Amino acid sequence: MLKTLLDAFALISTWEVIIAMIAASVYGLVIGSLPGLSATMATALLVPVTFYLSPIAAIATIVAASSMAIFSGDIPGALLRIPGTPASAAYADEAYAMTRKGQAELALGAGVWFSAVGGIAGVLSLMILAPPLAEIALSFSTFEYFWLALLGLMCATLVARSSPVKAIAGMFIGLLVSCIGIENPGGIPRFTFGITDLFGGIEPIPALVGVFAVAQVMRAMLTPEPPPLPRRKFGSIMAGQWRLTKLYHWQMTRGNIVGIIIGVLPGAGADMAAWVSYAMSKRFSKEPEKFGTGHVEGLVEAGASNNASIASGWVPSLLFGIPGDTIAAIAIGVLYMKGLNPGPTLFTEKASSMYAIYLMFIIANILMIPLGIAMIRVAAYILLAPRSTVMPIIMLCCAVGSFAIGNNMFGVVTVAAFGVIGYVMEANGYPVAAMVLGIVMGTMVEQAFVTSLIKSDGSILPFFERPVAAILAAMAIGALLWPVMVWVWRKVKQPQTAAATTR
Amino acid sequence: MRLPDSVTGSFLVVLGAAAAYGGYILPPVPGQPIGPNVFPLVIGCGLALCGLAIVFGIGHSFEEEEELVPFEDGQAAAPPPQGRLYGLRALLPPALLLFYVVAADRLGFIVTAAIMVYVTSTALGAKWKLALPLAALSPFAIHLIFGKLLRVPLPAGLLPTPW
Repeated sequence: MLKTLLDAFALISTWEVIIAMIAASVYGLVIGSLPGLSATMATALLVPVTFYLSPIAAIATIVAASSMAIFSGDIPGALLRIPGTPASAAYADEAYAMTRKGQAELALGAGVWFSAVGGIAGVLSLMILAPPLAEIALSFSTFEYFWLALLGLMCATLVARSSPVKAIAGMFIGLLVSCIGIENPGGIPRFTFGITDLFGGIEPIPALVGVFAVAQVMRAMLTPEPPPLPRRKFGSIMAGQWRLTKLYHWQMTRGNIVGIIIGVLPGAGADMAAWVSYAMSKRFSKEPEKFGTGHVEGLVEAGASNNASIASGWVPSLLFGIPGDTIAAIAIGVLYMKGLNPGPTLFTEKASSMYAIYLMFIIANILMIPLGIAMIRVAAYILLAPRSTVMPIIMLCCAVGSFAIGNNMFGVVTVAAFGVIGYVMEANGYPVAAMVLGIVMGTMVEQAFVTSLIKSDGSILPFFERPVAAILAAMAIGALLWPVMVWVWRKVKQPQTAAATTR
Repeated sequence: MRLPDSVTGSFLVVLGAAAAYGGYILPPVPGQPIGPNVFPLVIGCGLALCGLAIVFGIGHSFEEEEELVPFEDGQAAAPPPQGRLYGLRALLPPALLLFYVVAADRLGFIVTAAIMVYVTSTALGAKWKLALPLAALSPFAIHLIFGKLLRVPLPAGLLPTPW
């Protein structure tokens, strides 16, 4: 244990890792603070850079950039009422109300302080939860993996803030995309239409960059520029945070726990955690009437929650290769590329790399406090940069980055195509995150499904015979039927409430 | 680009059916009942079912919640000018990426990138005073990071970089 920890220290105390972490932190802070550029997009654009780094440095950049971006999304949310990332959207109104009351320092300070605390709580959960789960996971067969993967896909649809049917459809589209190529049980070119470039299949990363980055530039083409940020003077940022911690320690803990649970669920990420925690905070608050008028309580809970979910989202990713959220989905791609294939054996064979990841998360969250304060100070200048200078550079990064993945132009074509697909899907209420999950997990789902079917000689029954498989199956089928049940329940309830109001 | 649910749903039915058929006609592995054809078949059927459900408006009632994300006041106050061709502006980014694919090898990275930056920037409302320096400088910065530091083989074309 101690030796692995020392090994882990040795792994991360190289100049490459340190420089990569600091650079990625600054990058994550800048991207997260720019409205419309999400933490997922920051991570996706970082992937081409990780090709050229050592495995640990590559993961360090992703860990640092994603943690920082989730926090710095609070900055434009508080100053402009434009959330920098969707994860900050839940409480942007509240934070902006505080700014109008002249408490911008307090709101932003609460953002950085409780984000750091939440992030560290998330890492602790990763350290405590992952090893025992890994032991259970070692006894899993393909049947369990199939149900687990299906459950992961279903969760993505459950938590989508859109029609669950459309989310499921998005997921199927993603799975269909993953069918393309010759990497299938028969080794036969499938859906390649005779195009040689399609034989290798669609890489998840250009698809991700397309749906998150290019689609965002496309939307920017049609929406007017957001208003510029007024210049403000800030007082002390950290003053009063310790008082808030003591006053709202219970809210903070609850936020951390909710964030950890939501992060562990496949498909639900930081934005979901923030929404749920903010709603919970209001529900259980002693003074709910103050919410929405610039009350810090909800900020504490939601800020603690969304950063906790970032770290705990790595639990299912590292254990099963099932991403806890879209950022973890990108991280899985990088892990595979760097020979750290996710799975329970990662914890026994590459234990020092695991500890290195934990340590990097802790360092990133500590680093967040000084860098975050500096970022808040310079935010006024960065937010002055007009969209017309930021977006063109993002376009260039998309083109060069997707080219760099395989040094071939087909990557750029993929990015363009998925930009259009992502834009059309988003505009019509189909959640793109569900499709991305489908693409990332498709190969694994198919492998588990087909191997299981071959083992059972085409029979469905063995899918339910093992006890763990049966439990997972019940959960997955329950998740599939959930929209139907809600629909029926609403139909039943509607006449009742109508009757109640007329009475 | 907001299409009625019946249109997108029908499209999914067609796509699902095509996928299922495409999976069905794949040659099986000899001596093995389950092969590469099973998965597309299942996915295709699922997709077609979802498409049907969307056409009939099942699950539509969940979609109001989307409005929860607060939009800034300015956006509602100043609606964008709606010309018939205005919507086509959204296609500019993918078109520029395809332009990059076609032109980069011939014109070289610097020239192609400069054109992309200039067009995107102008389309987003920048004046030439801003767009021109940006287009002149940013390709070099990107080339320095990707081409020089990360050793991505970017095409030199007409205008080789000084390093």
